[in-house]
Amino acid sequence: MNAMETNLGAGDMRERLLDFAAYVLTSARALYREPQSYGPMRLADTLEKGLELLQAAGIRDETVEQAMAAVRETRPVAMTDPEGFAVALDRGIAVLVKATLGGKPEA
Amino acid sequence: MNVLETIKTRRSARSFADKRLEPHIVEAIEEAILHSPSASNAQESHFVIVQDEVRIRHIKRFAQGLSGQPAAVVVLCSNHQEALARGGADSADTLRFINLGVAASAMMLTAQSLGASSCPVRSFHAPSIASILGLPVEVKPELLISLGYADKPPRSKTSKPPKEMISFERYGN
Repeated sequence: MNAMETNLGAGDMRERLLDFAAYVLTSARALYREPQSYGPMRLADTLEKGLELLQAAGIRDETVEQAMAAVRETRPVAMTDPEGFAVALDRGIAVLVKATLGGKPEA
Repeated sequence: MNVLETIKTRRSARSFADKRLEPHIVEAIEEAILHSPSASNAQESHFVIVQDEVRIRHIKRFAQGLSGQPAAVVVLCSNHQEALARGGADSADTLRFINLGVAASAMMLTAQSLGASSCPVRSFHAPSIASILGLPVEVKPELLISLGYADKPPRSKTSKPPKEMISFERYGN
């Protein structure tokens, strides 16, 4: 994990945090009535927004970025190809399993 | 661009260039709204056009289905009481939503014909949007339309076979 410098002020970070918190709670509330396939998509987007928030705070992790690569690639078809998106999620999870068991991210 | 060409080329946009909508497009969308029909001429719909960057950010905050950074958001609202008073129970229960759909289509096709892109959005927290816009209690937000200039190609489209969507004379023919 890398800690980077950031030029964002406390006010900017608070606005971003409000964006994030509102997105997560609004998504959770809506999922009671939305199609089931929206759940994986919203969770993946939540992670993406969380990573953006952390990056704005100067934190970035190459393993997580690698795990997200397949998810990002497949995200545009998450609704039209849910099985393909599930495979991409599996690929991302596999990267995290490898890191959990002590493997290093591929160069 | 003729109407059919506009219909065939319009696709939902989820990523927009950092560029304000040209005034003539906003004016055209206003006209599209004003010329959209309503059942029994009840005119129970209301439309809030938002172009202020901060207000758009606040709307996005509570509209998880609103992707990208649009130049404008139109909030399509409906007044249940007005629909009931002017259009009767059928308008109040059903037709007012059809009216909004017709107006939404007119707005999106107008934007498309003038080089702007759009996306209809239903995934939002209605009470929050109502608060942000200061809507009267009887006026409810029912649909958002994001507008702007798409900066990415649209997603691939999947459609049912025409036979599953259209019949001639009798169902299934």
